[in-house]
Amino acid sequence: MKIQQNYDNDVNLKIKRRRWMNVGLIYLILLLFSVLFMGTFLFGAISSLKDNPGSWPPTLKTEQLSLKNWIGAYKLARQGGGSGFFGELKSGYKVSLEVTYKYPKGIEIQPPQIIIPKRFKGTGRTALELDREFTADFVETKPAKEIDRIPEKDGTQVSYKVIVINTSQKDFSELPLDLVVPYKVKFIKATLFPNRIERLGMVQSWNNLVSGVIPYVFHNHFRVFNENYSRSTGKRLFTTWIFNSFFICIIKVITTLIFASMAGYALARLRFYGKNTLFIFILFSMMIPGQVTFISNYLVLRDGIFGLTKLFGGGSLLNTFTGLIISGLVGASAVFIMKQFFEGLPREMEEAARIDGASTYQIFAKIMLPLAKPALGALTILTFQGVWNEFFWPLVVLTSPMDKFTLTIGLLSFKDTYASGTFDWGPILAGAIISALPVIILFIVFQRYFIEGISFSGIKG
Amino acid sequence: MENKWSSLKEKTAPYILLSPFLFGFIIFFGYAFIRSLYFSFTDYDLFSIPNWVGIKNYINLFKEHLFATALRNSLTFAIIVTTLQTIFALLLAVVMNQKIRGIRYFRAAYYMPSVTSSIVITLIFMWMFQRQGVINYLLTIFRRYGLIIGVFLTFLVGIQLLLVVREKLRSRPVEYFEPGYIILSIILAAIITYVLKDFGIIKPIEAKAVDIFWLNTREKVPFWGGPFAFPRPLGAIMILNIWTTTPTFMILYLAGLQDIPRVLYEAADVDGATGLQKLWYITVPQLKHITFLVVTLGLIGTLQMFDQVKIIGNQAPLESTITLAYYVYQSAFPGASAPKVGMASAAAIILAVLTLTVVLIQKIFSGEGRELRD
Repeated sequence: MKIQQNYDNDVNLKIKRRRWMNVGLIYLILLLFSVLFMGTFLFGAISSLKDNPGSWPPTLKTEQLSLKNWIGAYKLARQGGGSGFFGELKSGYKVSLEVTYKYPKGIEIQPPQIIIPKRFKGTGRTALELDREFTADFVETKPAKEIDRIPEKDGTQVSYKVIVINTSQKDFSELPLDLVVPYKVKFIKATLFPNRIERLGMVQSWNNLVSGVIPYVFHNHFRVFNENYSRSTGKRLFTTWIFNSFFICIIKVITTLIFASMAGYALARLRFYGKNTLFIFILFSMMIPGQVTFISNYLVLRDGIFGLTKLFGGGSLLNTFTGLIISGLVGASAVFIMKQFFEGLPREMEEAARIDGASTYQIFAKIMLPLAKPALGALTILTFQGVWNEFFWPLVVLTSPMDKFTLTIGLLSFKDTYASGTFDWGPILAGAIISALPVIILFIVFQRYFIEGISFSGIKG
Repeated sequence: MENKWSSLKEKTAPYILLSPFLFGFIIFFGYAFIRSLYFSFTDYDLFSIPNWVGIKNYINLFKEHLFATALRNSLTFAIIVTTLQTIFALLLAVVMNQKIRGIRYFRAAYYMPSVTSSIVITLIFMWMFQRQGVINYLLTIFRRYGLIIGVFLTFLVGIQLLLVVREKLRSRPVEYFEPGYIILSIILAAIITYVLKDFGIIKPIEAKAVDIFWLNTREKVPFWGGPFAFPRPLGAIMILNIWTTTPTFMILYLAGLQDIPRVLYEAADVDGATGLQKLWYITVPQLKHITFLVVTLGLIGTLQMFDQVKIIGNQAPLESTITLAYYVYQSAFPGASAPKVGMASAAAIILAVLTLTVVLIQKIFSGEGRELRD
């Protein structure tokens, strides 16, 4: 008896241990896959903070994510009279940067040359602000002052203090700086790590000493907003695109919800002539790529829906949101999802209502719609995601001016904006990450609906 | 009178409920499809009046080199991507189908690539596929540390086999992928590899950085593929596409997995089936209808691949990335030269017919298809 019990315990323990091992292994595999699926985004997001995401080797080490630089950026921005998180260089304020070099043996120790460069914001077609005032014309610098000297075996480490004073009556939002040292002198450290080290280490270059912590960290993200202006209205393009995308999404979500549930209900429950044929056509349309129908649709919009809208004084519907929206009020797949959902609901309530003398419209609005909440939730999310990410049709309809672009088409234009020889990957990645954020946030909050939506459209289909 | 009115109202109700949908559907699908068909037999150029030219466009298409390339690329792309993503989605779903804590978060994390737009993903991938990009860097690491990784894997497999065989000799019930042993083998192999590296017996190789042109190249892969080789930029897009769509289909499979009766697995356990056998003889057949759906959706999706080609644009030679969908767009809006709407429409019709045919063939072969109808 006792032996039997012992044996049972032993087996139980083994089974338990085995299950734990199993769980451990599964977690390990799941983690590995997470790296694969999430890692790309995280790496992209982290690299979008870097000064040059295209640098080799591509590492996770990012100056913009080091506490030391945050403190440095905070200090410098405070010295300039800003808040620390968002900085500026106010009239009469003095900014001092400490920087350390290593002079190898045989090279004369001399302080670095201080240059306040005159830089245009942006590159290529983004550099539009021609009549800008340069900070360099209004500030004074003093020769770098030596503050420390540590002799080492193969050379000497020397620290300098670089001081810039705003002697003018104006406030400035930025203070770029270049320090030049002789060849072979090595940069060791500074209050704020330079954005670039160029010409074999001879030039250390800062974009903006007084940016403050947040613009320092999200340098590229600020560039995305600040460097793209509309040529016709002067508004910030990226902000406009975000609004455009949101606007179109909201309208289309509303029209889809209303019209898809109406059509879906009719297809699921009502009897009418040609119902099966219509349903077959709906399925057929879901298999046909947009490239088959877009030429005709383009023409329809160009000529104002068979010329009808032109009769009423409207022009071409190309490059208008009306055109973009009217051609996609409700998708066939949305109708399909609603039809499948309504078919799955029990008929009893409906029949009871009909006996009580309710009309079709009353049944639809008072009974069926409230029951359809989960499907409508899923459809909202799916439609929002679909419209936010839509690429092909906006590409055809919206060509100019750039104010009319949606975020996806706008991002495509970044490929031209930030390509002069090589890509300036910083703002491109930053723009991509920003434009992915709304959908990712939506997904994290309404995760359940996403998964349900997929199952609705898939399994029951 | 009252009665007549309300009966009329009831009779028209379906049409009124359908009307907003039908408005868009008839104009922007029905009419558009018929007009595309019509344009494909004309020499229309978006501006002048179309002239009927018969099937000349179709004949010209098959004479054109670029169209043949596009057709080939589209088919290769559709077949390879659909196959791989279906397999990966199934395997991933099987791994994910566990009742363990936190599985929801993993599921959410995996699904992330599927919710983001093609432009965002493609831009990030273009950055990774640069000559001095992440992909080449990872390959460089593999080249440099390949020996060490190889040693680790050899020990891992060796120790695992040793442990399993030892248990089998004592005729204990044990699987080749016994989880406890795998963990033990990983730890042991890691220790041995570390010690070997520490003593300098195995060293990372001093290799040059990998410098593969992923986008700006006309090279074909695999180099031994002969007529079946495809351009490397297309391969890059394949990797991207598999990565983004696998999670979507994983969700479908997951839903299907939950419907498989547990009894089947319990019976298999009694018969002493291994994990692989269970996967092959129970899971795969039970998920047949989902596989049909996944393959159908996959084929429809991959055959109309357009976004990635447009976004990569001049970063890769046109012949290396062009697909049918892009060919249609390119012919209708060629930029500098005159639009060839006739040719574009003919290509579009071929794309539509191709999609329908492929789905039909798939349906016949799998003997399924009820799902799509009801």
